[in-house]
Amino acid sequence: MIRRSLSNMSIKKKYSRIIAGLIILVILTGAGLYLYINSEQERLNHNQEVLQHKAGTINEMAATLNEVFFRVRGYSLLKSDHELQLAYEALDKLGTVLQAYSKLKLSPEEADFEEALEVYLDQYQKVTLPKAIAFVKQDNYTGLRALAKDGNTQAVNDFLAYTKNYETRSNQQLSDMVDQSLKQANDFTILAFLLSTALLLLFTLMIWRILKIVIDPIVQLEQATNSLAAGEAVLLSKLHKQDEIGRLYEAFLNMAHSIQDKEEELMMQNEELLAQQDELQDQQFKLERSLSEIENMMKALDQSSAVAILSQKGIFTYANENLSEYTGYKNAELTGSTFRLLDVENLADAQKQQIIRKLSTGGVWSNEVRMNMKNGTPVWLHMTIMPYLNDDGEIYQYILIANNITSMKNVQQELAETLKNTEQTKIMLERSNQLNHDITYTLDKQDFAEKFIEFMNKQYAFDSSLFLLVKDNITVVKGVPQENVERYLGSESGNMLHRMRTEKSYITKRPSTLREQGIAPEGTDSYDFYSTVVNAQDDVLAVFCGTRIGHSFSEDEINEIQGMMNRVALAIERLFMYEEIEYGRRLNQDIVNNVNEGIQFVQMDGSMLHMNQVLAQMFGYNEWSAGDLIPKERWSGHFIHTANESDELELFYQKAMSEHFIESSSMKYSLGKESLKHIDMYAIPVYRRETRFGTLFVHRDITREYELDLMKSDLVSTVSHELRTPLSSVLGFTELLLSKTMKPEKQLKYLETIHREAQRLTELINDFLDLQRMESGTQQYNPEPLNLSELVLGVIDQYKLSGTHHILLEDEAQNAEVEVDRDKIVQVLTNLLSNAIKFSPGASEIKVMLHNEPERIVVEIQDHGLGIPNNQIGQLFQKFRRVDNSASKRIGGTGLGLAICKEIIEKQKGSIGIESEEGEGSTVWFSLPLRNASGNRHEDEPIKLSADKEQKPNVMIVEDDYSLSLLLSEELKGKGFRVTHHYHPQEAFEQALKTPFVAIVVDLMLGEELDGWDLIRMLKDDARTEHVPIIISSALDKTDKNMLDNVQKYLTKPYPPGELTGTLQEIVGIRQRSGEVLFPDSSPWDNGE
Amino acid sequence: MQKVLIVDDEDVLRMLIEDTLEDLEEVELHTAENGREAMMKLSRNRFDLVILDYMMPELTGIEVLGLMDEEMKAATPILMLTAKAQDADRNRAREAGARYFMPKPFSPMELLQIVEGILSDKKKPQ
Repeated sequence: MIRRSLSNMSIKKKYSRIIAGLIILVILTGAGLYLYINSEQERLNHNQEVLQHKAGTINEMAATLNEVFFRVRGYSLLKSDHELQLAYEALDKLGTVLQAYSKLKLSPEEADFEEALEVYLDQYQKVTLPKAIAFVKQDNYTGLRALAKDGNTQAVNDFLAYTKNYETRSNQQLSDMVDQSLKQANDFTILAFLLSTALLLLFTLMIWRILKIVIDPIVQLEQATNSLAAGEAVLLSKLHKQDEIGRLYEAFLNMAHSIQDKEEELMMQNEELLAQQDELQDQQFKLERSLSEIENMMKALDQSSAVAILSQKGIFTYANENLSEYTGYKNAELTGSTFRLLDVENLADAQKQQIIRKLSTGGVWSNEVRMNMKNGTPVWLHMTIMPYLNDDGEIYQYILIANNITSMKNVQQELAETLKNTEQTKIMLERSNQLNHDITYTLDKQDFAEKFIEFMNKQYAFDSSLFLLVKDNITVVKGVPQENVERYLGSESGNMLHRMRTEKSYITKRPSTLREQGIAPEGTDSYDFYSTVVNAQDDVLAVFCGTRIGHSFSEDEINEIQGMMNRVALAIERLFMYEEIEYGRRLNQDIVNNVNEGIQFVQMDGSMLHMNQVLAQMFGYNEWSAGDLIPKERWSGHFIHTANESDELELFYQKAMSEHFIESSSMKYSLGKESLKHIDMYAIPVYRRETRFGTLFVHRDITREYELDLMKSDLVSTVSHELRTPLSSVLGFTELLLSKTMKPEKQLKYLETIHREAQRLTELINDFLDLQRMESGTQQYNPEPLNLSELVLGVIDQYKLSGTHHILLEDEAQNAEVEVDRDKIVQVLTNLLSNAIKFSPGASEIKVMLHNEPERIVVEIQDHGLGIPNNQIGQLFQKFRRVDNSASKRIGGTGLGLAICKEIIEKQKGSIGIESEEGEGSTVWFSLPLRNASGNRHEDEPIKLSADKEQKPNVMIVEDDYSLSLLLSEELKGKGFRVTHHYHPQEAFEQALKTPFVAIVVDLMLGEELDGWDLIRMLKDDARTEHVPIIISSALDKTDKNMLDNVQKYLTKPYPPGELTGTLQEIVGIRQRSGEVLFPDSSPWDNGE
Repeated sequence: MQKVLIVDDEDVLRMLIEDTLEDLEEVELHTAENGREAMMKLSRNRFDLVILDYMMPELTGIEVLGLMDEEMKAATPILMLTAKAQDADRNRAREAGARYFMPKPFSPMELLQIVEGILSDKKKPQ
């Protein structure tokens, strides 16, 4: 890079830099040399000086030492103190000089010397000299001599010799130094010479190089220039240099190239010029030929077109024959006239001005013009006007060329008209198509009628119209004034209908009414068009009436409209058909949706095409809606998993949907968890024209049937058991009677048993028969007026002998008159009592209670038995139902009883119900309407006791004769008492402990174990009951006098019931009079509880 | 003396069976109104035959059989006398351990014969 940039640098710059560098080098070398020589010189001088100084010092030292010895000798000789003084001074001086000498730069030898001298001096000064002085003072010269001989003098002499030697040596050294400096100067001279020579050589080399660089290319250039001048090709390679020479080369090359290019160009131009010359000649020839052609053309133009020349002012100067032919003006007439002679029609004055302006600026104008000929005939010309300009650009004349295009124009006009007609036809066709589309796709008649009438009004320009669909009486009117509607249908309708029968369509013409006329001129006529729409059977489907004001109907229009009516007839029939189909479809759908069965139609590929709402509800599947097609995988999974028998259902679906499935088949499955729904499902292959195209699945909810079935089989098993037990007795005892001999009493007993069991059998059978009758609805009821209290008592009487249970009657009903079927009510009571006994095996007491409610009497039968689980109470009154628990299963019974009771009570406008608690017992009640709701009390009541239930005086009758009991209780109830019956003394006593009685009526002759007397004794012995008044009612005479004290009254049977009442009233009356509280709080009966 | 226990909730049928079997010699007849009573009596005495009704309150015949231990069942032949006369009931009774089965209504003479047969069989090995 650097080299490159150097080579690119200009020569001048390059070499001036080199020269400058060299000069600096020379100066620096010179200066360095000078400085070096100078310093060397100085060093030598300095060394010289040092040497001289050292020599001087040593000389001085020698002199001083000499003086010291001299003085010391002097002293030793003279014994002059002065001499010693001087010696000491010299010694001091010697110390000083030695000091100075030691400070000089010393060679090792010199240093040794100096040191020895110093030691010596020290020795001398401190030892020798004082010794010598002492010798001198002692005048001991021998000692002194010895001392001197002892080396001191020798040392001085050595020292002196050394100094002398040193002097010579230093002198020698000095001369060496001078020699050395001279030699050095010599060396320097040689060095300077060599340096100068080297510089000279360098310059020479440089100049030679410059010359080589500059001269060579110049020589080449010269050669190139020569060859250029000689016209030869310049063979000069480009120098890859950017210096002056390089640029010169480039400039030269450029110049050479441009010269060569120019030369070539000139050559080419020359050739071109030659070619142009040829062409020009050619053109001249062609021009000549064209001129003749133009002349011919002009002739032809003159023949074919009208040609005229107008002066600058617009005056015809020339006009050919054609123009006079086109205009009707003769040639002579035209020539000299202005252009205004031509009567141009289709150009306004403003346009004419524009044309003139255009022409006057040199433009050419050309257009179609319509003008009138001289005789007034219109003629179309295609006219072109060209201005002719002179050399100054001024117009000096106009040329007019015109062609007759009248015939072409006419053709054009005709074409346009045809086109317009076609356009109109197209619109009409489009409308017609639209109507076709509308009537094809409209399913609504009203919509159809509206579209049709709109079409008619548009297509045939009716001003008002009416369309009537006869069958549905749909009328659509458009733009019809009321008067027209009346005209169409009203007064003239007779006429219209009459004509319609014979003609499919007709037209009437009449003067327009005022309203129709509107802004139209007076005397306009209106045309009414009547047309029927008939089907193939000639039934009138619809009527169209339309009015056009002012213009009548063409034959074509009438035909078209009639054709239209045929299409409309088809469309209307189609609409009818659609409606019928739609109706049928809806009907089918409604039927399918309203049947109780779930219905599902599945195509062969398994997709579900239809399902009804029942099925959707069954499966809780709401994803299907009408028109949907649900693929199998989307519905079947849900269906299969909803069913409890998923696998079976899946298999069934699979089988039923397969192609091989031909016969219909069915299966049963269940839905739900808590309350099972049993479904019977059957599949039917569906064929259309002998091709299987799907499967119909019908899901029937058979839960009721299923349960009924279960109940029935349950019933059969129960019935068989129930029948077998009495049958066993009947058959068994009969067999015993037949096969064994026995006592007559036993025979009688057997027969009685047989009889009773046979009766039980009969009852059972009657129950079933009742049930059967109820089911078939043939049960007969024979209502008769009767007293329900009596009836209840009578039934209870029959259970008197039952060993296990005691039946207690609490009769509070004041009105027990009802009108019912006696036998049926007895059946109900028997049934309910039997149930109470049957279902309370552990308890002994059953209470029957009667009381009035507004207009009704209520009978309650309460037991303290097993009770009924809460969730089963609701099912109790269903047929074949029995409380489903293990305890009741063991008890037996047809399970029909309550259902029969319910049926009987409800058939007699009563109601029945049950309240129960499991383990506590049940209370079954039923109520019946009273025969005579008002006046339910005897009028001759002497004592009117409070109607309040709690306040009624309680009376207990202990009597085993139920008919008497009944008689008495009726009497007592009538007088406002509450009556409780008992026939067993023990129970009566227990009851008396529980309930406060105003009095107890006791029959003496009671059961076997205890009699009336026992009861009285028990009552009187107990503190809780001793105060209760006792009335004896007995057929026996008074016998036991002792006991009579405890008795309020003794009534001997038979006695009139009034007597008992009187006695009781007396007792109550006494208590009331005496202000005794009937039922004090501290009642002794409470204590026992 | 051989002992026979008659268990039936129906008084009439108890009477019928008792009267049927009363003429058997050296046979002591005992009765029970329900299963509970029957169990009580069974636990106190060894019986040579139990005539057991199926449908009874408190404990059914099958339940009584369930309560009897195997030893007792092996030693005491059971005659199931029941109105439940279907095959399923018969099987259930057999499974529960009743050796004899007689459907209601039954013939007293036939019952007598069967009982006689059972009792004499019972006597033989002793």
